[in-house]
Amino acid sequence: MKNHPQLPPAWADRLLKWLTPPHLREELLGDLHEQFAEQAEAVGSRKARRLYALEVLKFVRPFYIRERLRHLARLSEPDAGYARKEIHRPAFFHPTDMFRNYLKIAFRNLWKSKGYAAINVVGLSVAFCICLFLFLTAYLQLTYDAFHRDGDRIYQTYFVANDPERVSKTGGMPLPLTPALKSEFPEVEAAARVLSGRKSSVEWKGKGFEKLVLMTDPDFFKVFTFPMVKGNPDVALLELSSIVLSETTARTVFGSEDPIGKPIQIGTGPDRKQYIVSGIVADPPLNSTIQFDALTRIENRPGYASDKDNWNANSSSVFIKTAPGVAQASVENRLKPFILKYLGGTIEGLKKKGARPDDRGDLFALRLQKLADVHFSREINGGKGAPIALIYILIGIGAFILLIACINFINLSIARSFTRAREVGVRKSLGALKQQLFVQIWGESSVVCFVGFGTGLLLAFFLLPTFNAVFQSRLSLDHVFEPGFLAVILGVFLLVSLLAGGYPALQMARFNPVEVLKGKVSLKRPGILRNSLIVTQFAMSTLLACATVVAMQQVRFLRQQPLGFQSEQVVSLPVGSQSDGRQVLQRLRARLADDPAVVSVTGSGVNLGRGKDRVSSRSVFGFTYKGKGVATDWLLIDYDYLKTLNIKLLAGRDFDPAYRTDSVSRIIVTERMAKALGLKNPVGAFIKDDSDTTGTPMQIIGLVQNFRLYSLSEEERPITMHLSHSEPIHYIFVRVTPGSLSVTMDKLKAVWSEVAPQSEFMASFLDENIDAWYQNEAMMSRLFSVAAGIAILLSCIGLFAVALMVIEQRTKEIGIRKVMGAGVAGIVLILSRDFVKLVLIALLISLPLAWFGLTMWLNNYAQRIELSPWVFGGIGLSALLIALATVSYQSIKTALMNPVRSLRSE
Amino acid sequence: MGRAYLGEFEELVLLTVAVLDGNAYGVTIAAELKQRTRRTISLSGVHIALYRLEEKGFVRSELGGATSSRGGRRKRLFGITTAGRQTLADMRDVRNDLWNAISSPSLS
Repeated sequence: MKNHPQLPPAWADRLLKWLTPPHLREELLGDLHEQFAEQAEAVGSRKARRLYALEVLKFVRPFYIRERLRHLARLSEPDAGYARKEIHRPAFFHPTDMFRNYLKIAFRNLWKSKGYAAINVVGLSVAFCICLFLFLTAYLQLTYDAFHRDGDRIYQTYFVANDPERVSKTGGMPLPLTPALKSEFPEVEAAARVLSGRKSSVEWKGKGFEKLVLMTDPDFFKVFTFPMVKGNPDVALLELSSIVLSETTARTVFGSEDPIGKPIQIGTGPDRKQYIVSGIVADPPLNSTIQFDALTRIENRPGYASDKDNWNANSSSVFIKTAPGVAQASVENRLKPFILKYLGGTIEGLKKKGARPDDRGDLFALRLQKLADVHFSREINGGKGAPIALIYILIGIGAFILLIACINFINLSIARSFTRAREVGVRKSLGALKQQLFVQIWGESSVVCFVGFGTGLLLAFFLLPTFNAVFQSRLSLDHVFEPGFLAVILGVFLLVSLLAGGYPALQMARFNPVEVLKGKVSLKRPGILRNSLIVTQFAMSTLLACATVVAMQQVRFLRQQPLGFQSEQVVSLPVGSQSDGRQVLQRLRARLADDPAVVSVTGSGVNLGRGKDRVSSRSVFGFTYKGKGVATDWLLIDYDYLKTLNIKLLAGRDFDPAYRTDSVSRIIVTERMAKALGLKNPVGAFIKDDSDTTGTPMQIIGLVQNFRLYSLSEEERPITMHLSHSEPIHYIFVRVTPGSLSVTMDKLKAVWSEVAPQSEFMASFLDENIDAWYQNEAMMSRLFSVAAGIAILLSCIGLFAVALMVIEQRTKEIGIRKVMGAGVAGIVLILSRDFVKLVLIALLISLPLAWFGLTMWLNNYAQRIELSPWVFGGIGLSALLIALATVSYQSIKTALMNPVRSLRSE
Repeated sequence: MGRAYLGEFEELVLLTVAVLDGNAYGVTIAAELKQRTRRTISLSGVHIALYRLEEKGFVRSELGGATSSRGGRRKRLFGITTAGRQTLADMRDVRNDLWNAISSPSLS
């Protein structure tokens, strides 16, 4: 599944092999590859890959297909020459003539009813295209980490603590756990600690790159399946100073040189160390939880020596692989005494707090999480996993849309079947069997389905870049040709053709030839089924429409929540790990001090919103104050933080360089923090942890209004701000005067290269970063609006076609009504009434459902909008109007027709 | 003309085979045509023309010459046959006659 940019796309080669006869393949592929190599040289491999794909698509030509079919025919009929001479074979044994007749009739039929065929094909292809995107997204998510061999034997370990306040699960493990596990549990075949953390600088020959260095154990390659491109996985990480690079990293750092055995520098300042490259491993695939650019031993972690026997400092994740045939439950049971032995203190502590054992009898336990579930377990991995509900919603929406297209298909086929009743009658009286008729008619629908699917695939091919851009995904059609997904597509295709083609075919095959030939069946009306299908369609469309509107309202509401600070005109600059944040801040301050466009400059340990580096960190400090447990966000700031962000000071003062002790033991707290501490007048108060007897107490010097440090979907905590010089500054904020934003940005860029030459300039606007907090919700609402739009469109197309046919059948009736004196308005009313009734029933079903579902969804949010009946009423009304408008074209046209013409026909 | 019909594109390909004498195969023919005609030329089209020409007996072919950029696959090298040369010459004569028969000097 890997992509080699130097090679042409594999799917194109597969397509070519499928299209061309084998005796031509070698020369054709050879020519194509040779041309690709030349083009890659001339215009770059990206463009060459695209050109290659186009070139292959041009092989879809009658010439090659004929040759290919000829070859296939030769394969299936080894004695073709003999068979052709034998003319007098009965048709029953030699059905090709019949098939030819079926095909001919099928195409004649399609041609005769071009309009209906087009509606079917358009509907199916749009639906299939959307489904392809949605299912592909879901497939990628559901196959997360599925590429590891023996995945069913790989587990992540996690702690469960049944704290009386809140049951907590965490994947952070103490360092000594892994060696202890390995020595005491023979059933643990391999175990590796995994510590990823921030990006660090990787330097070779003076050139630096920001790369994600993962620290782990030599067992990493035994637990996981990350194939080595160069080097031996058994020994690659045996040396403490070894480093294994991913293919991409090796290429960016070393270019075309062979990196094996070369020394590179990792890290900055005192943590800087030299490593020797010992191997190259294939890039981790997109759907891998474990992502890295380079691998080193965990022993190189700063402070490893002091923590290596500390059972109370949790840091790394641990993955183990059990021996074959070992049950998860038996390992978990054996872990109970193990935990008692090493972490008995934690259990005692929980007991003292009044914790009760859970249903498995544990206060505190070490348990195993299956690798397949790791991607979805947000709790264990600090909220980083994907919400599995979202994936099911995606699949659900895909299925919805497909179903709507299928319903169109069924309705049209049934309606059309009466015009073909005579053909069925004639075939039956000539001796056609029921099965033969079924196969014929079902085959015809399958042809339409197939064309629809093909068009859908083509559509998907062209729309993919747009889809990726709008939904920030990295889908590629390469995955479509993976066997697993091909099976899904094939399944969907069979299901659709069986469902949409099978039912009408069954109906038609059942026609009684005598009645049909007498012309009786055409009078029967296919009432209930067609009507309920239309109801289903409209119910689903309005459901999606309601979800869209409410999701959009909620997103807008979230964005308009007061932040407590002013995010406009502030530039956020990530410092990166190559430079010392405090130094950079000082230099930047000095350079910008007399710039009239710059209001103030400050630094912080935490970014606000989601910046270009996509990093988010949180440090929470929990302590006991006068017997009360308090948990607060522990935020490192610098001078002018309040001024830069316009945070309102309610009492006391801001940090001031004039007071020397400000940077040691003074803090500023938010209102919520003051409340948590139970202080009415917090300024001047001293606070400290009850159990801490030696440390200096912290004095509160300022009180500010509450402000948002994290997005609304995360828990909001009280905030405590401090100046401590022992913590590093990661972000710099610059407030500029209104109207000078873009000019200052250019200037900042120039200054940045002087004050922080090693760090990349990744400035972004704070207000945009804040918007990025609600990306998930924004994406959801976009997705819903696209899906709802398509659902409504497809439903209307279907309704239009059905109306067309129904009204056509009633032309005579209308003619008589007009002759008898009915007015145009009356006739339009009569014609539209039936459809309006259906839409009303659909609304009665869908609106309560939507109300219920959306209330459930909104309950997930601490800050939510109230559902307004007006929204639902409005959507209902517009659904009704849209349906009316769709039908009205036909009904008005018919009502205006001259009755003489309609009555004279026949 | 009692000979087999030769389309415009086939004629171009046949001429190119003659030009590239000895080194004529899909990629070189396509490249040569692209450069000379400034049209978009697809490999699939060139190959179809070559196979048709071979069927009509204007070119003959043999397999040979695998290189690493082709992934070790051999190429089909084409050469023009006597019949091919004869057809090209005939077509040229016909055209020359027609050109000579045009009276208006502005067209030449």
